[in-house]
Amino acid sequence: MTRLPVGFRWTVLMGTLAALGWGAPVDAQSEGGEAVAIVVHPDTDAANLTFNELRRIFRGERQFWEDGRRVTLLMRAPAAAERALVLDRIYEMDEDEFREYWIGKMFRAEVAAGPKLVYSADMARDLVTVIPGAITFVPVADVSSESKVVRIDGLLPSDADYILR
Amino acid sequence: MRRSITLAIAGLALVSTGLSAQLSPAVTGQAVSTGPTIQGFLFGDARYVTTEGTDPGFGLGQVVAHANGSLSEHVVFFGELSLSYRGSSYVTTVERAILRYDFNDAVKVSVGRYHTPISYWNTAYHHGLWLQGSVDRPRAVTFGTNFIPVHFVGAMVEGHVPGTPLHYMGGVGNGRNSSGVGAQDGGDANGNRAVILSGSVQPIDLGGFRVGGGMYLDRVPDSGAGETDERILSAHAVWNRGMLEVVAEYIDVSHEPASGGASLGSSAYYVHAGVRLPSGPLEDVTPYARWEDTDIDAADPVFGATLSNYEALVAGVRYDFDGLAALKSEYRSETFGTGSAVSSLVVQASFAIPVGGQS
Repeated sequence: MTRLPVGFRWTVLMGTLAALGWGAPVDAQSEGGEAVAIVVHPDTDAANLTFNELRRIFRGERQFWEDGRRVTLLMRAPAAAERALVLDRIYEMDEDEFREYWIGKMFRAEVAAGPKLVYSADMARDLVTVIPGAITFVPVADVSSESKVVRIDGLLPSDADYILR
Repeated sequence: MRRSITLAIAGLALVSTGLSAQLSPAVTGQAVSTGPTIQGFLFGDARYVTTEGTDPGFGLGQVVAHANGSLSEHVVFFGELSLSYRGSSYVTTVERAILRYDFNDAVKVSVGRYHTPISYWNTAYHHGLWLQGSVDRPRAVTFGTNFIPVHFVGAMVEGHVPGTPLHYMGGVGNGRNSSGVGAQDGGDANGNRAVILSGSVQPIDLGGFRVGGGMYLDRVPDSGAGETDERILSAHAVWNRGMLEVVAEYIDVSHEPASGGASLGSSAYYVHAGVRLPSGPLEDVTPYARWEDTDIDAADPVFGATLSNYEALVAGVRYDFDGLAALKSEYRSETFGTGSAVSSLVVQASFAIPVGGQS
């Protein structure tokens, strides 16, 4: 068993800050108007979420899955089109409000930690499959056969009335 | 190859943030273990104050360190330390220290030192002045005053009632000390535990809106006039959505001599409103105003010698000149007791700095 190098804590800090809205923008890989899929770890017992359940999870109001595993939220860095869509539809916030929201959540001891940063859709798609309890969002074009895509209000990203597009 | 390296770096970074993740060897190239993690913030402020009848001057507010620590997937720790100027030196105070076991979203059990959840403002902003919309707290919930027991040492259970927008919090603790200002950190002088129950409704499809209230019961230790039974009731409503930020709160405090006698009531309320200006050159500017009113029964055995009636009109402008720093300029007209109104002008710069890493 190998412990991680101590130096990675700074990587963590930078990642956390960027997840909250700081740092240089990274590549935005999705095009505007494309559907965004909600993807969870394959062992997560969730095939369908209502939109309000999704909001509760993304806003840190719901922090545990049914099996008792803590939810780990993976957020794309600022400037990604899918992040803008999630902030608009799920959070109903801009970047400043989003940052203040999570600082407040942590300061009020409502959450143990804020969302974690991912730098690309590929990274989000792949990490969500290896981190138990993880949930993230990726452009539908980046969904792979290994991705467990969750229905939102019974709809998949391919459905016409799907809400995250 | 590049993708594998990227994933490995990201995986290590995520693990070191305390996600307790067991990344597969296929991702990291090696087995990993995780340890406790900590993230936190520093808050601070400095101000210039000019008050009618006094010499103006600069002042340094509190410097506050806050930490969130994850000991494991279900065990978390929250701490808040403050450094405050008192007379001729700086004093360090443990404001909050909470060890919590999260069974699930519905049940989270903790012990430690809290900000008493009898007031919305008291638990929404704590000592982070950058977070709140005005320079200072409403007087009814100001640190160092005794209208409510601001701190609480004891045990709490809290959570969300499944399938509802209801959040609850309840606990038992030592209650306030005989002066009424501080919590009893080292034990309960009279053996009568304080009990707190509070709840709020926060509809998820109406983010930023909440209504709630609480009840607090205790027997305040003898300060010379005998023990006093205390009952506090509170209610609040918050709208922090879109352009508007409105916080309204009412607190009723009743004191009755434990040996018998009349119940004496005091009350306070405030309404704070701010308007976030729309996108454009003034989008970082938030004008705000607050009205406060506190009525104290002069015969109150806990408040009588320390508190008096209070009214205040506060009007100011907040300018977020940086993502983590704000400048607030505030005018106050305050009336203490039967005196005449006193005006003051305060300019405050406040900030928040994120800190963190793996312990």
